[in-house]
Parts: sequence; structure tokens; C-alpha cells
Amino acid sequence: MAWQMAAQASALNEGQVLGVRLGETEVALYRLDGQVFATHGVCTHALAFMKDGFLEDGQIECPLHQGRFDVRTGRALCAPLSRDLPTYAVERRGAEIWVDLDQPGQAAPRPAPQPLASETRRLVVVGAGQAAAAAIRAAREAGFAGPIALVGEEPHLPYERPPLSKEALLDPAAAIPDCLDPTALNVDLHLGLRVESVGEGRVTLSGGAVLEYDALLLATGGRARRLSVPGANLPGVFHLRTREDAEDIARALRQARRVVVVGGGFIGLELASAARRLGVAVTLLEQAPELMARLLPAPIGAAFRHLAESHGVEVRRGLAVEAIAQHGQALLVSTGEEHFEADAVLVGVGLEPDTALAATAGCALKAGAVAIDEAGRTSIPGIWAAGDCAAYPTALRGAARRLESWQFAEDSGAAAGRSIAGAAPQPLRKPWFWSDQFGVNIQMLGLPLATDRVARAGACFHTADAAGQPTAIIAFNDAAAIRAARTALTIPAEARWLDQPEEEPPMDTHAENRGITLSRRYAWPAEGLTRIPDWVYTDPWIYEREVERIFKGRSWNYVALESEIPNSGDYIRSHVGPTPVVVSRAEDGSINVFENRCTHRAAEFCRELKGNVAEFVCPYHQWTYDLKGNLQGVPFRRGAAGKGGMPADFKVEDHGPRKLSVTTHRGVVFASYADDMESLADYLGPEVMREFEATFDGRKLVILGHYRHTLPGNWKLYHENLKDPYHATLLHTFLVAFGLLVAGNRSLMLADASGRHGVMCSAKSDPSKIAAEDKKEMRAFHDGMKLEDPRMMDFFDEFDSEWSVTMSTIWPNLIVQREMNTLGIRQIVPTGPNEFIMKWTMFGFEGDTPEMTAHRLRQGNLMGPAGFLGLEDNEAMKFVQDGMLRVPDGEHYVALDPATPEGTSDTLISESAIRAMYRHWREVMGL
Amino acid sequence: MPDTLTLDPRLSALLLRAEVDAFNTAYCAALDAQKLMEWTEFFTEDAFYSVISRENFDSGLPVGLIHCEGRAMVKDRAFALLKTAMFGPRYLRHMVSNLAVEAPRADGSFEARANYIVFEVLTDRPDARILQVGSFLDVFRRVDGALKLASRRCVYDTLLVPTALCIPV
Repeated sequence: MAWQMAAQASALNEGQVLGVRLGETEVALYRLDGQVFATHGVCTHALAFMKDGFLEDGQIECPLHQGRFDVRTGRALCAPLSRDLPTYAVERRGAEIWVDLDQPGQAAPRPAPQPLASETRRLVVVGAGQAAAAAIRAAREAGFAGPIALVGEEPHLPYERPPLSKEALLDPAAAIPDCLDPTALNVDLHLGLRVESVGEGRVTLSGGAVLEYDALLLATGGRARRLSVPGANLPGVFHLRTREDAEDIARALRQARRVVVVGGGFIGLELASAARRLGVAVTLLEQAPELMARLLPAPIGAAFRHLAESHGVEVRRGLAVEAIAQHGQALLVSTGEEHFEADAVLVGVGLEPDTALAATAGCALKAGAVAIDEAGRTSIPGIWAAGDCAAYPTALRGAARRLESWQFAEDSGAAAGRSIAGAAPQPLRKPWFWSDQFGVNIQMLGLPLATDRVARAGACFHTADAAGQPTAIIAFNDAAAIRAARTALTIPAEARWLDQPEEEPPMDTHAENRGITLSRRYAWPAEGLTRIPDWVYTDPWIYEREVERIFKGRSWNYVALESEIPNSGDYIRSHVGPTPVVVSRAEDGSINVFENRCTHRAAEFCRELKGNVAEFVCPYHQWTYDLKGNLQGVPFRRGAAGKGGMPADFKVEDHGPRKLSVTTHRGVVFASYADDMESLADYLGPEVMREFEATFDGRKLVILGHYRHTLPGNWKLYHENLKDPYHATLLHTFLVAFGLLVAGNRSLMLADASGRHGVMCSAKSDPSKIAAEDKKEMRAFHDGMKLEDPRMMDFFDEFDSEWSVTMSTIWPNLIVQREMNTLGIRQIVPTGPNEFIMKWTMFGFEGDTPEMTAHRLRQGNLMGPAGFLGLEDNEAMKFVQDGMLRVPDGEHYVALDPATPEGTSDTLISESAIRAMYRHWREVMGL
Repeated sequence: MPDTLTLDPRLSALLLRAEVDAFNTAYCAALDAQKLMEWTEFFTEDAFYSVISRENFDSGLPVGLIHCEGRAMVKDRAFALLKTAMFGPRYLRHMVSNLAVEAPRADGSFEARANYIVFEVLTDRPDARILQVGSFLDVFRRVDGALKLASRRCVYDTLLVPTALCIPV
């Protein structure tokens, strides 16, 4: 026993809660009717402090999810709570409050219901969900002493449903709390049974049993609405309503790599959130133009969408599912024009109230549900209804409506229970709803309509009707605002009215940063391709998506020159995007590309930059791979002395590293993760291929050496730099000073039809013929400037091309440099959004004279990380990234040459090829 | 050094070494001060100067970050860097050690080698990062009595150049 002083008694007023910290333990103190109670200070559900909660009727309501604990006993009273709060012994010592953390509090006895001895009426409750449980509890509490029978189709006691779309999907072992104690409340259970008929005071169950009633409560809930399209019943298509549904989905998510979620309402978004938490790729299809369109005004739907998108959900709007079909192991969701492949399809398109029994009993319906009054009575005497099968008792916003919410199930059930027991109903509470998605707690109080106007203040959206009266508040991670709004809905003066869907950041995912916004939203500026937002270059999620969709997508990635691996057993280390690969020449002359990762323990087994081997051996456990990347041998596969070893069904064929498709053209080797890539010729298109073949003209390549450098900029900046002829005469004063390139040069900025590839072309011209006005525009044209050794600028016309310079940007990782006679490959190896490595391979041709080789080397001073042009490009790109990182969340302005919106341009003063590249990028990225 | 005196060969080796050491100190001082035109004075007219990765050098591949055949190209490099090149402001410090000087050949030329480190300080970063670690592989020759570089190959181990090499090594 260790009593310690916790607080001055004067610090704790009647009806208040006080948080204190005793050693490492957060403790909450409460004063009720002069008596002091102590509990642990942190909610058992999520990280929230009880001291921030709301104390009422001896119950503390958690600020985050409105879970309630009895402060005297610590008992968890409702969802989402499943664990009680520890209580501590507490006593007053003079003016001080003392607490002993080692002993529990003296739980105050719960008031026992006073049974009415005369009660003999029989209650039958049909439907064993949360409303049923609330009704039974309330009936007993109000003194109903007659027999109660509970009939449910599910084999379970009533349980809380909110966790089904949240914790239960993440952790199959998560406890789903029951919400009824049948023993304490003396309930006769008939679970796993359907009701065949009701009426005339009798309920007939499947199997024939008959229950007689004086009072009947219909709490039949509803069913998850099914998609009515072909294939909706295929295995792998899931709906969520029951515990079993949640278990099935949790299991499917564990095996899935990507899922399609159909429906952008609360359930759909919570499903998407769970899938993302488990690392599953998610495409969410919504039929309406915006998420939540049935429930909420568009600007709020957009906020939900931004939140989902910022967590990697691909949201597609305006797409209705037309069919689902089996496609190999996967499912193919078709919307008519588009097809989405998925390992599972999760459907969240709403609820259909189950009103069949009510209808046969003659109960009036409204809004598609059972009509009830505030006491839960239906139009038929002796029959009550509650929960999802019932409509809201009064008109809401001028119409009959349903409210499928936890609170309404609880309240309507309690009202019916009290009414059955003969007690008056509690007053109706303001509609309240909560959702947890993507780490954000979202609460809604009041009833917004999709047609309401919206104002935003901080992390809260306020809605108002046509008369300007506030109708609801929707708060992202702001429980305090919800609590304040329980007293009165008001719209703060500083709130900003939003008359358009707001392209603003979603809320932060951390409760402690509430109100702070993440800058990650992926809305392209309204101006279109003349603007490029910074997140394209700096965002980690965008980068990951690029790796998946571009480098590992349908692309031919440069990996090597054939001359680097002329003989059997020759290899080099290379990369596809950031992924290290080995490029090797096998005994049959074939070139093979496979991931440089041992399939055993992931070791990057090939360490030398290049070499010649008979086989690759992972040094860690000597697993060996042949020159084609096939796993050959595994030491002690059969164990030693009859013990250990691999499982009997182990086959080396099943455990090779990932092999890539390979193609070569004119001595250049490309690899792809796609197994069904189009030919290189189709990939490049005829114009880019023509320039490719002008440089790689069939002569055998001779490697002259490499440059390697890092560049602290986004990898796409390099493409853009070479699709930006505008910079050439302005940044590269050298070119102008020595008359190599001027604005009046004959030039072309070529873009292929797809926009991804480009070739910047120019033809050397005689400096004496440059027009005077062109010279004026250039930063530093000095007529007198001459090189002491002008050989560097010589051009020997060795190519079948009208251009003396071509810089080909071949998507996604290759630059082919033909700067007069200095020739090079540049391979982009991205290492993150803010940096990449560039590997250069300079080459000449077999048959070059020593003088030609010397010339190529001299001219090489233009290029590379110390080249007159190369160092400036690298520095400029670093400055660009620095600017974005230090003055963030801006956009680039790339509007030059409006006459050519996107594509090939014959002027140097153009950015049309950059725009073409981003047209393609956005298509591939789905942004 | 008067030819008439016959020195103990150990002493002349020591003197030569001291002379090369002083040469390298002056060479580095010119580069550290970014006095690039002065830097060109350290080369013979037919000098060869390159900054080449150890990867290329060990493989017999000739490509270098900088590749100058003759002092004219060294001067073009210096002139272009001073007059036309755009790069962020920076300070460099060249450190040279482990000097080894071979005995002079009949024509008076001789080989030498030394290790070097170049530190680079960018004005917006607190650290002096290592721009290059490598070794000078040199051939010296006397021109009018003064030592000049007939060849300097700066072979660097730091394969991945951080962004750019703006000032020579």
C-alpha cells in the first residue's frame, strides 16, 4: 500500500474531473455528491485523457469517441469501449486528496432495479443487435420484471458493430464487446434462429417454436446492400454487416495486394483505411461526382477524399460498377470503360432496413423503415421498433428520415425499453455520428444535408440551411468543438464559407497535431499543365507510386550497354529505378537481368561494380545462382546427419530472384518488370527511334569510362532540364560565349506521341550569322571570347542526322547524349523524392582513330559533373529542389509557347515538351 | 641548386622532396583561393591534367571529370570557370600528404605521388564535406629551373561525386 497525496481537495469542484500524474501513472479524480473517486486517467480504447472528458450522471465520457465509463466502478458502459478503467482507492485527508495506486477503489453499489411484483407481461425482442440490447437494459432498469425472450438470426449475443469496420479488420483477434448480460438481466435466448411470422401475440421461429408476447420489439436491423451487377456473388466480393463478414474481410486483406472498394461513404472509407493500414493498395470507386454525396455537401466530401488520397487511396469518382468477373486469380471490376484488377472487392454501398416482419404485422412504414413515435411505438399497439429498421420518430430537416447510427440504435432501443416498462422516454438527442479513418477521428453532430452551405473554421466544417441556420458540425480530430456544439450549434465568425469543393489539405493524422494540416494533397492546379505543383517533386508517397507505376510499370528501363558484358560470365550491377539488379551474359550469349537480392535472407549478393563469374554466390549462406539468375544450390538442403534441412516440398525453381524482361537494340540493353512489354520500337515511337538509331548507328560501342554523381533533386527535373531548351542559352553562358548554341540556331524540341520521351535537337551554326537582336537577349555573348584550344569545339560530322546535338530523354531512366562527338549514356537511379544518382557511361565506336578518341575525351569536358554544361545543370537542379524544400507548397509555372500546348515545338523558347511529359505522368500516376 | 656541388644522394632526395612539398602547398593555395589563372602556371605547356575516378583508372578507361591535353586547355578550363560557369558559392581546402618522390630520370623529370583530400564548404551547410579523397600521380619537369607539372592525374576514390565538381583538384 502506497498512499500518496494526489491533489488539494479545493482543486476538485463538485461534478468536475481533475487529471493528476502520480509517478508514471495518469490518474483522473472525480467529485460526485461530495465523494471523490479515482480512475486511471487514460481511456482504455484510444489515447485520450479522461480529464478532457465530460462528466455527467456519474459517467465520464471520453472526448474522442464518446465511450462512457462509470467513474465509481470504472466499468465500460458502451462502445467503442471493451475494457474497464482501473479504479484506485481514494480518501480525503484534511484538505488533501490521497490515492493508493495499489488498491482498487471501493466500487459504489449499482442501484438495483426495483422489480414490480405485479409485472407479468411477456416481452419478445426480435433481432439481437445493439438496439435490442439497449432496449432490454432500459426495460429492466425501468423496472420491467416480466420474462424477456430475445430472438436473433446471428448465433451471437448482441455485440457492438462499430469495431467491425475498424479494429476488427486490422486485428482478427480484436475483442468485439458484447452489449448484453443475459444472466444479470434474466433474458431467455433464442439465437441462430429466424422468425417465420409474427402477429396475434405470437412469434413463430424457424423450427416451429412459438413465443407468446404481450409486448413485441422489432429490432431487426438491416442487411448490407448488395451490388446488383453480374459477378456480385463471386468469392472475393465482400459486404460488411456481421462479425463473420469482418473476419472474412480481415482474412482477405491479409492476403491481398490490392483491393477495390466500391462506395465512398463512411463504411467504404473505413474499409479503405483498414486496407491501407495493412499496406494493401486501394482503389475506391464512387458513383457520384464526390464522396459522401448522399449525406454531405461536396466540400466536406472533398475533405474526406483528400484525407483518403493523402493515405494512398486512389479515389475514382463518377464510376459505377457494371460487372465483376474472375480474371485468373484476381477479380476484374468493370465500370464499362475501365477495368480494375483486385484481389478482393469490398462493397460498402449502404444498408437495407429489414422491415419484412413489421410489414406483415401491419406496421406503417416511412422513409423505407418502420414508423415509430418517440417512445418507439409502431402503428400497431403492442409492437415497438428500434434501431436501423426504424425511421427517426420525428421529421428531421422537414422530412422523414432514417439515421443509421450507433447513437440512434442506443437511444431508440432505450426509448422502446422504457416505454415497454411504462416509463416516459428520454428527450431525443441531437443526431451524432463518428468515424475513425486514416488515423483521424471524425465526429458529426446535427443533421447536414447535401444541399447545405458549408463554412470551414480550422479542422471543423459547419453546415447551414438556406436560411443560414446552422445545421451540423463535422469536426476532424476536434472533440472539443463537438462537445461545445452539444450546447448550441453556432458558426464561428472566423469560419470561411466554401462555395466550391475545397482543394485544401486533409487533416493531420495525429490527434496531438489537430488543426495542423498536412500539405499532402494531390489536386492538380486548375490551370492545367502550365502549372506543376511541388508535391510532384517532393512527396514520398508520390515517389513510391512512381516506383510502382513507372519504374516497375510498363516501361523499358536502360540497364547496360552490351559492350560492358561482351563475354559469357560478364556482369555489371545496375538498377531499375531504385531497385538493384544484376545484368549478366550467360553461356548461351543471352543477357539476363534479375534482382540483386538473395531469396533466402535478402542479401544484396552481387557486390562488385562489374566482373566475370561462373555463378553468383550469396556470401551469407552460399546460396548460388546461375548466370540467368536461377537458384542453383542451397547448402545442406537435405540437412546434416539426417536432421534439419529444407522442407520436403522445397524446390529451387520456386525460389529464384525476380527476373525481368530484357530487350536490346543496337547494343543498348533495357529491362522491364512487365512480362508483356511492347517492342522497343513501339515504346519509343518512330521519331525518337530515328534519333536513337542516328546515335547508335550500328557501329560497335567502345566504353571510354563512367561518371557517377548524386544530385539532390527530384529525378524528373533531369528529364525536364532536357525538355527545356529555354535554359540552354541562358544558363550555359559557355555555349553562347564560344558560339556553340544561340537562340537563333536551327533547333527542334521533339516529343513522342505519348509525351514521355523527347529529343532536344540543335544544329551548330556559324556565329557570324547570328542576328544582332538575338545576341542582345543572351546573357553573355562576347564576340571576342575564344578558346585557347578550340579543338574542343570541333565537330566531325559522323552521323546520319541533320542535328549536331541531340539529347534524348527516354522514359523513365535514360538520357542519350550526342553533343557533337562526345557521346554518353546517363542512367537515372532515384533514391527518394529529393535525390537521385546519375551514372554516366561515355563511349565511342569500334574503328575510332586514336585522334577521334582523344577528341571525344577533350569534348567530354562539356559534360559530366565537372563539365562546363554538366556542372551548371546539376547546380541549377539542386537550386530548384532547395527552393521547393525551403519555400514549400508552391507550384512551377511552365507556360512558355502557348501556341504548342503539349508536344513537339520548333522553338527553343518553349516548355511544351515538359507539359507533354506531365500529361503522360498524370495518366500513369492516376493523378 | 648549383650543379657543381656533389651532395649526399640522401640529402638531394630530401631537398627535392621539400621542393615538391612546397610546390604542392603553393598549388593548393592557388586553388583554395580560387585563383584559377595562377593555378594554370603550375603546368608545362604540354601538360596533361585529368581528374579521373579510380573505377576508370583501374580499368584502363580514359574518361575523366576534367581532361586537359596541354596548358591551353587548362587555361580554357580556368577562364571558362571564372567567366562563364554558374555554381553555388563554396570554399575548398586541399590537403596533401604521404608525398613520395621518385629519383629523377636523366632528363631531370621525375615521378611523384601524394594523397589528397578536398574539403568543400557550402555557404548554407554547417559541415565541411569531403568532396574528394584520392591521390596525385604526377610527372614533374623543370622549366627554366622551376618545377612544373608535366602530368597530374588526380585519381579519386570517392566515386559518387556530390552534385558537381566546380573547382579543379
